[in-house]
Amino acid sequence: MITQPATRGADADLVSASWTQPEAFAELFDRYSAMLYRYVSKRLGPEPAEDLVGETFLVAFSRRRSYDLAYADARPWLFGILTKLISRHRRTEAARYRALLRAPVEDSVDSPADRVAAGVSAQAARPELASALAALPAKDRDVLLLIAWGDLTYEETAQALGIPIGTVRSRLNRGRRKVRAALGDTNPLLDEEA
Amino acid sequence: MDDMKLLRDLGAALEHEPPATLARQRNRLTQARPRRRRVGLLLTGLAAVATAAAVAVPTLVLRGTQTVAPPAGARPAKVATGALNVLVVGTDSRAGSERFRASRGARTDTILLVHLPADRKEITAVSIPRDSMVQIPRCGSVPARMDMINSAFDKGGLTCTVKTIETLTDVRIDHMMEVDFNAFKEVVDALGGVQIKVKQPVNDAKSQLRLPVGMRTLNGEQALGYMRLRSLGDGSDIQRIKRQQALLRAMLAKAKKTLTDPGRLRSFLAAATKSIKTDKGFDLETMADLAVSMSDSRLPKFVTVPWKPYPPDPNRIAWKQPEADQLFARLR
Repeated sequence: MITQPATRGADADLVSASWTQPEAFAELFDRYSAMLYRYVSKRLGPEPAEDLVGETFLVAFSRRRSYDLAYADARPWLFGILTKLISRHRRTEAARYRALLRAPVEDSVDSPADRVAAGVSAQAARPELASALAALPAKDRDVLLLIAWGDLTYEETAQALGIPIGTVRSRLNRGRRKVRAALGDTNPLLDEEA
Repeated sequence: MDDMKLLRDLGAALEHEPPATLARQRNRLTQARPRRRRVGLLLTGLAAVATAAAVAVPTLVLRGTQTVAPPAGARPAKVATGALNVLVVGTDSRAGSERFRASRGARTDTILLVHLPADRKEITAVSIPRDSMVQIPRCGSVPARMDMINSAFDKGGLTCTVKTIETLTDVRIDHMMEVDFNAFKEVVDALGGVQIKVKQPVNDAKSQLRLPVGMRTLNGEQALGYMRLRSLGDGSDIQRIKRQQALLRAMLAKAKKTLTDPGRLRSFLAAATKSIKTDKGFDLETMADLAVSMSDSRLPKFVTVPWKPYPPDPNRIAWKQPEADQLFARLR
């Protein structure tokens, strides 16, 4: 989990300051653009990431007056906007996961001594993971990836997507169940050790 | 190690570090136009979107809920990037109405293939006559057959309609949307009615629609009756298509004219988004985005698939080749 250093003001203060001084909003960019970039780069790759991050902040800026100042942390808000923008790139995202399916799994025939067991296991599972992700309904994938790749908590995910926390849990469970099913419902690492 | 750990590892492998050029995006923010300009843009944009919403296209362009469950098997390749093909079908389903129960199935009365080129300037809407006799591919358990195109929907749903049209035209369909009777009525009413020129007096028992010759303003119920009207003129689907296109053109013109007033625009959008099912992504910002790209679009060009009578049954029609293929080639 990413926590904010206590030394700086809450995001909400920046947002409210930006109501009268728009420049204040740029500080939010400095805080979170890199984090958002890394997240999009995982889902869509580096090419669209830059533009989407810029877009996210533009949309956020245009909506800054409707920001609920009760939330000190602006990350869920920004991730929520970004998620909507990502959803317009479903084809890119699907193609990205499909490309992983085709990519050769390296190291699969190396001598056991060279193996880092966990790494091999994670890499060997990659095609299954990718096809499971590609097959997930968008809503379930959003929840799963906000938590796994965006490091949001359940509450933050609920806030980002504007859904009840119970819905976050059920979507997450459904997504994880499908991922596990794609992995053969076994733990590859444990299997290797058995 | 659990599934979440594996996922995080995958994420870490896919992750890229932000490049220095990301700072350019910060400039976009600090150089954002003053607020007033943004609002102006929004309104022009919304009017444009609302315009197209009258034929329910942008809902889908904006990724509405009813995206195509892609047909199985090989599909036509997407050729021109940035261009969008949207299939709009008007069905006779009257969910919630007493007289028409869902159990009676639904047919596609109107089939429109709307092509938005990458620059969004010259929008083309191709009407596909429902009486077209075509080769319908196998859909699920229903075997391939020669039949009227509107039977694809009744027997195989939206996916089968898409599959049929993709097989016939080799045009990749990016989105599709279904507008039922109630949605259509509500859109017309939200527009405050629509004005058309009646060339032939209408007195239709089925829809209880009576219209004398001349310029007439139709409310939602009347417009729906007119849209569906078959027993007029020679009673052919082709003549009906002409009336449908005139009606759609009139709706678009009305939308363009009236929706510049923010109050009406709001009530229109409220109605349109209520009756044409949309998802959460269909919010003002999303609309504005597409709108900006469409704001200088002209009214769409309406055409009908070139056709000739179907030899075994003159009440049906067949697509005329090579003209039909040439038309679809332009949409690929």
